[in-house]
Amino acid sequence: MSFFGFDPTRPNPAGAGFSQARDPFAGLSGHDDEGDALNFEDTYDGLGDQLDETDDVFNDDTFGDTGGSTVTAPVGKDFDFFGQTAKVANAIEEEHVRFNRQAPAARAAQSTAQSIPGPSHAQAPAASTTSYNFAPQPSYKPARTGYEKYSQEPVGELQVDAALWGVAPKKQAPAPPAQTHSPATVPAGRKIMSLEEVEAQMRAQSAKPAQPAVPSPVPQAHAQQPQVHYDQGYQFQQPTHPQVPAQTGEQAYHQGHAPPVTILQRPQSKHAAQAQPHPAQVPAQHHAQQRPQPSGPVQPTQILQNPSRLSGDAAMLGAHPHPTPPAGHPVHPTHRPQGSLSRQQQLVTHPSQLSQMSEEDKAAYMDQEAKRAKRNHKIFLMSRDNGIMTPQDKNFVTRIQLQQLVAATGNPNEHGTDESLAEDFYYQVHNQIQGGHRQHPSQPLNNFAQTYLFQTGSRHGGLRRHHRGPENHMQRMEQQVQRAVEAAKNKPKNKQLVIEGSLGKISFSNAKTPKPLLNIKRNDSAGEAARPSSAHKNIHPSAGRDKKSELRSIELVYSTLMKMEDHDRMMPPPPTSDADTHAIEKAMEWNTTAQALNKKLWTALRVHDHPQPGGVHPFIALLSYTKGKKAMERIFRHATREQRTIILTLIVVNLDELDVVRGAQVTTGDIQLNAAMRENVELFSVAVMSTLFNFMNELDLDLVAGVSGLVCSRNIDIIAKSRIGASMLTMILSRAEIIKHSGGGTEQSWRSWDVAYTQLFNLLEPSLPHIFPGTVSSGDDMYVWQLLAAIGIGASPDQQQRLVLAVKDRVMDTVNLAKTLPHELSVQRLQNVNLFMRSIGLDVELLQ
Amino acid sequence: MLFFSFFKTLIDHEVTVELKNDIQIRGILKSVDQYLNIKLEDISVVEELKYPHLSAVKNVFIRGSVVRYVHLPAGAVDIPLLEDATRREAANQAGKAK
Repeated sequence: MSFFGFDPTRPNPAGAGFSQARDPFAGLSGHDDEGDALNFEDTYDGLGDQLDETDDVFNDDTFGDTGGSTVTAPVGKDFDFFGQTAKVANAIEEEHVRFNRQAPAARAAQSTAQSIPGPSHAQAPAASTTSYNFAPQPSYKPARTGYEKYSQEPVGELQVDAALWGVAPKKQAPAPPAQTHSPATVPAGRKIMSLEEVEAQMRAQSAKPAQPAVPSPVPQAHAQQPQVHYDQGYQFQQPTHPQVPAQTGEQAYHQGHAPPVTILQRPQSKHAAQAQPHPAQVPAQHHAQQRPQPSGPVQPTQILQNPSRLSGDAAMLGAHPHPTPPAGHPVHPTHRPQGSLSRQQQLVTHPSQLSQMSEEDKAAYMDQEAKRAKRNHKIFLMSRDNGIMTPQDKNFVTRIQLQQLVAATGNPNEHGTDESLAEDFYYQVHNQIQGGHRQHPSQPLNNFAQTYLFQTGSRHGGLRRHHRGPENHMQRMEQQVQRAVEAAKNKPKNKQLVIEGSLGKISFSNAKTPKPLLNIKRNDSAGEAARPSSAHKNIHPSAGRDKKSELRSIELVYSTLMKMEDHDRMMPPPPTSDADTHAIEKAMEWNTTAQALNKKLWTALRVHDHPQPGGVHPFIALLSYTKGKKAMERIFRHATREQRTIILTLIVVNLDELDVVRGAQVTTGDIQLNAAMRENVELFSVAVMSTLFNFMNELDLDLVAGVSGLVCSRNIDIIAKSRIGASMLTMILSRAEIIKHSGGGTEQSWRSWDVAYTQLFNLLEPSLPHIFPGTVSSGDDMYVWQLLAAIGIGASPDQQQRLVLAVKDRVMDTVNLAKTLPHELSVQRLQNVNLFMRSIGLDVELLQ
Repeated sequence: MLFFSFFKTLIDHEVTVELKNDIQIRGILKSVDQYLNIKLEDISVVEELKYPHLSAVKNVFIRGSVVRYVHLPAGAVDIPLLEDATRREAANQAGKAK
């Protein structure tokens, strides 16, 4: 079943209609016209072709690109969401939201076009009236979808109404101005209908497709428009009422559209409140109806818009036993009340007919009228305040209420952004990171919208591009709802409920905490040793270290780091002046927290813990884990300078204890470390060494000399034989060289450096021939040449000579090997060697 | 919400979804929801010969509960960030459990 079941066989004369007044939902209360008195084709004079088509440009806004401006062009099925549903299950929601999005857009277009302040639906009333009375539609199908009106632009109906009035044609003016103009003055009442209501209406409609909504015009039209009901398929009545102005037929169709429009826009409440339209009143009312055309807008016609009420009305009427049920034409049973009703009304509205009614009829009619009048009055009273709030207002109020709800459920909203970030951290941050370089600028927003389309099911109209504000609004609201729901869910803390007198417990379960099928009481003390995991632990007491607590420390480091990063984001702006005590207070508070976090981080790093006898320092142990290494860069970012120095010192002091040093010793001829160790070394140099290198570049000479002294206190042979150790030495030596070149350092510090250097050199010298990884041909020795170069730069001539002697063999071998290698490789090798040679004032060229 | 959050970032990337009935479908991830239902476009079945009935299908909606694995495009995953997100999620869960 399709809401938009267009009838392609019937030409739609009003292409303009797409952007115009139709209220799509008014059609829900359309009639069933099995037996038309008037054939539309006969009465149609082509006025519709003159319709204003200037608003066609908005068609695309409303219907997307598929609509086009051609009348007969097949309209896209975008909004045919029910139809699509059957076929494409996964498109349901998207279509749904899309439709909701389109409707407001059309409204906005209209309201701007007509320069009516506010989102008033200027033309909707006209459309609604027309649809109510547009009986003679030959192409109506028995299965009502409520959207037939969409396909059949109701141009002619207006004319029909006019004709039925029997009023002399007031205007010969062309239709378009009348149509565009009069609605402008017309009540905004219809517009009040919210999308929810519309949906409800549609649902109601689809639920009972055969239910004619015809009774809707009844309350308003019964007095003024006797003939309308002829159109509703009761031909048999025509001959019995010859006084009906037959002459109105053809010529009245040419009347301006205005009169019927006014009539039907006229809020019925007043007149309904008066109730009981006596025949005598009819002319007076009639006059009254003509007048208010300009003054109409005040009263809402909301009464007509509530489908449930309408159907209720119909049901009520239908239930009413009528003494003279209409006969002689094949009408669906549910049409009967309508038929009888319209007949009644018709009878009554004509003075001469009233007398023809039987007493019984009259009494029944009066009774019914009184009931309906009462009802309508009540509805009117209630609907007086309709439209005071716009949908945006309602959204806003809903949000406030939800906020209160969230606050009440103990979920304070003070860190709104943070909480949403916590739920959706990866996505939000990833998008922030990746947001900069998207290939398709239109893509991300689409995805964003699409993603949240499903999550939020936003009813808001502003879910379009360049309209992020309300979207975020709604998104936040949705998140609040989720939180509120979650809080409500978490509320029953008791997992079990013991009802007095029951034999067992009732346990609640949900998706997250399923009901436990087995409820075994664990004997903690006794079962401990028997459990496999603990047995495992006992067998392998983790090589002297407490692996678990180390890992826990690292996690603590990470969580503290994350807290610090969060905290950094909340840094208050620096106080602008001393007088701003509030800002100063805030800044101090922030500082206090920051310090506390820093202290926590420091503790978690275990820098000041004492190593167990024979074991490694706890901090160094942390560094043996991959994630411990990775944390180093972040730790440095949040550590004070003093703390950084301590960390550097600690690492240097324990250099020969590091797993990447101790476990990665080079031995000539065999450099093949296992893959895990190689990865470790790689990671250490990327994560830790680069961090230390950056920090080292800020140190002054005293500290560098100090560090160098520390290295000397360790087993320098082991250090130099590992890649990390060699890099560390290179780092220290090259830093000193850089300071020397930039002319930094005091006389005294240089003296102390010289001492440190000499000591280092002396210690290093015996190891030099053995620090090369592998054989000459393996060629992984670049870092060694770098170290040698760093040593060579600072060396005295005497030291340089000793240096050359130590590594001479390797130099010669490499040069000889380079001759046998392909050009590119050979150049590379020679360059490495040259790095060292140049540092001592030589060149490889001299050797060749 | 971590997985939802994560998969959202993979939208418009090519992923391979392995279903519990062993069918592997490769396609562009178009959307994912909180149930980890997955919408793929431009799909191809990895073992096309084995499942000829799917060769005409261009896009699919996969119910989250029938997914066994999703093969990720490694380049689209920010590992350190994901690690942090995981820690946050764990902290959240721990906070809720209390």
